[in-house]
Amino acid sequence: MNSLLPAQFVALLRREVLENRTLFIAAPAVLALVLLVFALWIISMAPSARIAEGVEYLSIMFDGLSPAEMAPMFLMPAIPFIMMLYACVIIYLLNALYQDRKDLSVFFWQSMPVSNLGTVLSKIVTVIAVVPVFYVAILFVFYLLVVIALSLLGLSYDVQVAGLGYMFLAAVVSLLLFYVSTFLAALWLLPTIGWLLLFSAFAKRTPVMWALGVFILLGFLEDLIFGTQFLGNWIESRINFRQYIVLDLPMAMDRLFSYDMLFGIVVGAILITGAVYMRRFVD
Amino acid sequence: MDQLKKIILKDRYSVLVATIIIYMTVLMVEGLLTGREARVIDLENPYFDFDVRDWERFRQSRDDSGSTSPDSA
Repeated sequence: MNSLLPAQFVALLRREVLENRTLFIAAPAVLALVLLVFALWIISMAPSARIAEGVEYLSIMFDGLSPAEMAPMFLMPAIPFIMMLYACVIIYLLNALYQDRKDLSVFFWQSMPVSNLGTVLSKIVTVIAVVPVFYVAILFVFYLLVVIALSLLGLSYDVQVAGLGYMFLAAVVSLLLFYVSTFLAALWLLPTIGWLLLFSAFAKRTPVMWALGVFILLGFLEDLIFGTQFLGNWIESRINFRQYIVLDLPMAMDRLFSYDMLFGIVVGAILITGAVYMRRFVD
Repeated sequence: MDQLKKIILKDRYSVLVATIIIYMTVLMVEGLLTGREARVIDLENPYFDFDVRDWERFRQSRDDSGSTSPDSA
């Protein structure tokens, strides 16, 4: 029976991807398409001399430089994708344990030999490790198309484009930073993931209102009853933008093996345990 | 222990309340032990000096500048 567990878990992950492919694949693909069309529109508006200058500048700028050193620069164009990822993950988590109760498919899934723990864990692993893979794949195609377009433009204006190869390599290396950043950000936000899953499993309707409402209420109650603001202070200490971006691997190691990360995982585990037990109660 | 578990797992509301109580307790104990404080807004520029940790000085400076204004005269 235990030998079946990994295969069972992979099947659960596959289910999550298949049921949410609009959020995980279509949304970033549409974003990439919109950005490409926008870039083409900008290029079509610019004068030819300016375009040739721009392509030549990019080619010279990256020529011969180490892709690993230039990779952090490509996290900038990835920011819209990171924001899209967070938005999609929030929508997914709020519906993860709510939607199947709403459409009653929970009865089917609970009749299968899958524990509540396995179900909830599959959703967390999907968010932490699986979803970023799709974003990395789409970003790879996006960067490839951009480099091909720039190369064609450069060739049509008779400009040296050899440096664009280095630019593409830097963009590819940045995908590793993108994956590590989103992976660590998800671990950093494990308490938020647990909170959303808890209310996704709890609410009979509008889990978003419950999740937000109870959170705000707790903050007020803490201040009112104890005269402290530990909840607010804790949240405030975890919303710095720099905590969500990793620029190199030593930085990732420091972030991963830090006290704040460990404490966040402990708090997240408490909320996730609550979500697992909450899953017992199906209307 | 079994009795406590029964009470907590009685219905969805008891699970929610128990989870939130544990969550808040852990946060508050950790906050007390580590003395966690919010990083307050600290704007530094030559035109507008504002530090919410020093609210009294900010109010005093506003009062002082208000007393020398043409309206107060």
